[in-house]
Amino acid sequence: MIHGSSIFIHVGQIHVDQAPQAISTVLGSCVAVCLYDRTLGIGGMNHYLLPFWNGNGLQSPKFGNISIPKMIEQMMAKGSTPKTLEAKIFGGASMRISGSEAMMIGEKNVLVAHEILNEYRIPIVAEDIGGQSGRKIQFNLERGKVLMKYATRSEL
Amino acid sequence: MNEQENEEFAFLSRKILELNKQLMESEKVKSRFLSLIASELNNPMTALLGMIPHLAPPAGDSREEIFELAHDEALLLESRIQNLVAASEIESGVMDVTHASVNPEKLVEEALEEFQYKLKRKNISVIVESSLKEKIVTDPKKLYLILKNIIANACDYGDSDAIVTINIDQKGSEVIVTVKNRGHGPNVKYKAQVFTRFSEGMEGSHGLGLGLSIARELCGLIDGKIDYETDAASVIFTVTIPVQAIQADSEACGSNEFLFESFDDAIEL
Repeated sequence: MIHGSSIFIHVGQIHVDQAPQAISTVLGSCVAVCLYDRTLGIGGMNHYLLPFWNGNGLQSPKFGNISIPKMIEQMMAKGSTPKTLEAKIFGGASMRISGSEAMMIGEKNVLVAHEILNEYRIPIVAEDIGGQSGRKIQFNLERGKVLMKYATRSEL
Repeated sequence: MNEQENEEFAFLSRKILELNKQLMESEKVKSRFLSLIASELNNPMTALLGMIPHLAPPAGDSREEIFELAHDEALLLESRIQNLVAASEIESGVMDVTHASVNPEKLVEEALEEFQYKLKRKNISVIVESSLKEKIVTDPKKLYLILKNIIANACDYGDSDAIVTINIDQKGSEVIVTVKNRGHGPNVKYKAQVFTRFSEGMEGSHGLGLGLSIARELCGLIDGKIDYETDAASVIFTVTIPVQAIQADSEACGSNEFLFESFDDAIEL
């Protein structure tokens, strides 16, 4: 069930909000990090496409190493501290079965999330990553719970 | 992948992350420097441009020519500073996109105003044609800077004693602005370099490439495109932007059922 309204975020977006809002997105090899602050009841979700900014073009939040610190900063601006935050990670599937396994975008996306959250000492309390199916997630800011469904290939 | 490969993969990815951090740090220093000089230059420039027109000598005065040269140079300096500011804002990644109802023809006229002396000196006449009936919704400041940069290009690299034609047309949900000037444009094979700043290795005379690289970045920010074509005698720059930059979210999602079905039987984490 969708409680209240749900905000849908696309690639390269970051959304920080408070209960009763819910945030949702759909992921393939992209990764979404959900941050929740239990004491303040605020949470944020991002959705990034690639792990690393390559030095060309804008430092846009479609890159994990830009997007995650940016979201943490936004949460901190609202009064969170790494001690009160917890993280959940979703996505990072290998969408292409043939050929470009070598790119391993999904794995790299997940790895960058682990590294950065580890650096900020934010505990990862749940994750559902990798595999070969897309995911649809809805982050409910009332309780900080994430509802997740797998997508079959035809649905993406 | 076996375990050893996995470990190596993780190690290398960590290395990239580390290097990336250093890269971001050095970029940050560069951006800060750029934005600092930009504001230092901007403030006196605004004052100058406000006051210079009041010094205009009466028509026929022998100092008229000197005044025009001085005013022209001041306007040129202002354009350069605007580009520098835009570059620093793009670099810092804090450029916000605003949405306002805009008449592109007005923006073109405003830009032409700044090149009045140059046009006069090179004896270039400009024809502006617009078939646009309604205003469009976009970021006026960004569109202005895009148009100004391509018009500047047409003035600087176009032939003297020629005509520059600016067309504004609507095609479906897009507005297409073309600026056509007579002269030899950059060879199409240098397309990538033309839109990259400080690029080297192109033949012929060209500037720093700051203007067109800014135009391209700004076009990206307002969901537009920029391109050019050349033939034996002329160059046409084309800017394509959406009539209505903001779109309803529902449209973006499409009618994909997956997005709207309920979360019954979902896993809770």
